[in-house]
Amino acid sequence: MVPNPDQPTGPEAKPFIGLAKTFTPEDETALRESLKRCSPSTFEAAVQYRRTGNPEHVPAVVIGVIERFVEPDLRVKLKEADDDLRLIDDLGVDSLTMMEIVVLVEDVLTMTINNDELRNLRTVGDVKLFIDCKIRGLPLPKPTKFLPVEQIVGVMPIQPPFLFLNEASVSSSGANAKYKITGQEFFLQGHFKDNPVMPASIMLEALGQLGVLFLLEGIATEQGKVVSPSTIFFTGCEGVRAHRICRPGDILSISIKPKRTKMPLATFEGSIRVGQEKAAIVEEFTLTFGLEDAATVTPLVRLPVVPAPTSITGLGQVANGTGPNA
Amino acid sequence: MPKVYITGLGFITSIGNDRASVTNSLRTLQHGFEHYAPFQGPEVPVKIAAPVRGFQLDSTDPEDWTFPAGYTIKREVLRGMSPNAVYSWCAMQQAIADARLTDAEVSNRHTGLYAASGGSPFLMGHMLHRMHTQGIMKCSPLGIVASIAGTLNFNLVAHFSIKGSSCGFSSACASSSHALGFAYDELALGRQKRMFVVGAEDGNPDAILPFASMRALSLQTDPNLASRPFDIGRDGFVGTGGAVVLVLETEDEIARRGVPVYCEVAGWGQASDGHNVAISHPDGQGLAAAIQLALEATATPVEAVDYVNAHATSTPIGDTSEARALKSIFRPPATRPAISSTKAITGHGLSLAGAMESGFCALAIRDGFMPGSANITNLDPECEGLNIIRSTLPAQPRVVLNNVSGFGGANVSLVFKQA
Repeated sequence: MVPNPDQPTGPEAKPFIGLAKTFTPEDETALRESLKRCSPSTFEAAVQYRRTGNPEHVPAVVIGVIERFVEPDLRVKLKEADDDLRLIDDLGVDSLTMMEIVVLVEDVLTMTINNDELRNLRTVGDVKLFIDCKIRGLPLPKPTKFLPVEQIVGVMPIQPPFLFLNEASVSSSGANAKYKITGQEFFLQGHFKDNPVMPASIMLEALGQLGVLFLLEGIATEQGKVVSPSTIFFTGCEGVRAHRICRPGDILSISIKPKRTKMPLATFEGSIRVGQEKAAIVEEFTLTFGLEDAATVTPLVRLPVVPAPTSITGLGQVANGTGPNA
Repeated sequence: MPKVYITGLGFITSIGNDRASVTNSLRTLQHGFEHYAPFQGPEVPVKIAAPVRGFQLDSTDPEDWTFPAGYTIKREVLRGMSPNAVYSWCAMQQAIADARLTDAEVSNRHTGLYAASGGSPFLMGHMLHRMHTQGIMKCSPLGIVASIAGTLNFNLVAHFSIKGSSCGFSSACASSSHALGFAYDELALGRQKRMFVVGAEDGNPDAILPFASMRALSLQTDPNLASRPFDIGRDGFVGTGGAVVLVLETEDEIARRGVPVYCEVAGWGQASDGHNVAISHPDGQGLAAAIQLALEATATPVEAVDYVNAHATSTPIGDTSEARALKSIFRPPATRPAISSTKAITGHGLSLAGAMESGFCALAIRDGFMPGSANITNLDPECEGLNIIRSTLPAQPRVVLNNVSGFGGANVSLVFKQA
């Protein structure tokens, strides 16, 4: 048999679902024209994908296409490779720019994206995961859910003044949250004397709380069952390291990803950053949880909720409103 | 009714991309014609055009476009633009600076914008070709707003944050005079305090060449002879593009701001031929009626008119029709008014024409000259009895008329007076 030069050879020569048809020199010329305003690495990744159908090349293409449509001064954010970057709020992508991104992605990856699929794509991570699932022929992920503080208070068994999540986003692959240290936290009066520093134990607590939120909002359970808020407890952690002293005014960016989830245990890895600086790392922490019938769930009594801040600036109203000074 | 004045002008034209060079070209009758590169193939029967210089807008991808120094347009603004929207965006910058308007004076409920262009046949053609060859979902998401006839008002109203009245006008070569006339009404009726009036065209092959098959374009190969309104040897018009912006304001607003004016917009008249879809009435009945109405509306005696900027595009039928209309108003033997067609140096700007030539009238009144009608060697006998000036006169006109006629027999006549 004569080897077909258009078929993949070498280590990547395995069949992928995404490989729809052969990649001709004409296709390559068209691809180069389509991606002429993208980085060379974007074009390279697209060529690799179109030759082999290997979905590993897709994230580089998607990021490269998004980058091309983002104003130059905002592009540096994409370099940080934060999947939690929001297309609208952080990258200034409006719905028309989103259409331009989609048209180019469709063209380059030879795929079709429907309007209703688009509405759920709010972060860079959403876009990458969505396109990855499309290409691999996997069921599409549940959209990332954004929870402002009132909703967090509404579902969590943990309440102010001991709640350290101001806003959060939860997807099937993990959760992210922000917490602004206001300086009004009751424990800062004594930790330390005339020198308020966020306790590392509280930072671990914040990670644990985000794990709780993930269990309540993020995981798929068997039909008719939900995770019972009153059954979630901390069981252990490993590899906890603090890297940075955090003080009032700092905004903690809290992230967790599930490593293993098997009733009744869920194990996560977690990290906290302040801006781009690493503040704390937890290699592993584990929560225990139980299920209950969806029908028997009694909604938690909602605390009177202080008007919610809509952005990270001016956060901490919950802490202020319920703290010892209120 | 409040009086209305012109307080600002912006020009992107074949005879200059700013007020000073346009004025100089009008005074010296320097034309903007050339052997237009895209017309030089053997398959193109037309050779001469009057392109705008300093811009490179011939790609279907706006991100390839380049502009003269001093103009930068962000990608998100550019992506929904046609070439004529780009010209207008630049002319708007000039007009706003010329009228000394602050951002707040541009963007408020009392400031509107009326605009006219033929859309962008170039981008429309590209979009439809892409749709037919690549698939319906492969069109640029903003292909429509960049190409249909409203592209000018869509873009300018959005990007200059216009909050008052806005509308597009579509009466072919009469369009931007209609825009100016109705903008005057908007101010005279007290609905707005300030109006931008914009006329623009792409002026590229797709905008010009469709006029070739209707035998409306000059086939001359000498740039000095191609456009010669009122000459017996005229054989069609020469296409041009660009944009002109006029700022109109009420007397109260001008007094409040304490700014100088070019001239008064005294009023206008319009009438239709009701005759033919593309050809003017042979005796210019509609145009004569429009002039008559404009003179009546502004209480202007016929003998008070000093200068007429004629529509005359250099087509055999159109110029004769206008000459007859003018003779029916200004009865021979008339020594005045002075009459000229500046299309002899600019070419015909289609939807741009009315705004461009109204801008020229404003310059003439303020700076004290009457631009001549260039390129006449043998005056058409039809024009005998009319005072068609062949060179620029250094005299100040006090009352000026600007005529336009468009497809369908739409005719508009505007009256400008010294302030």
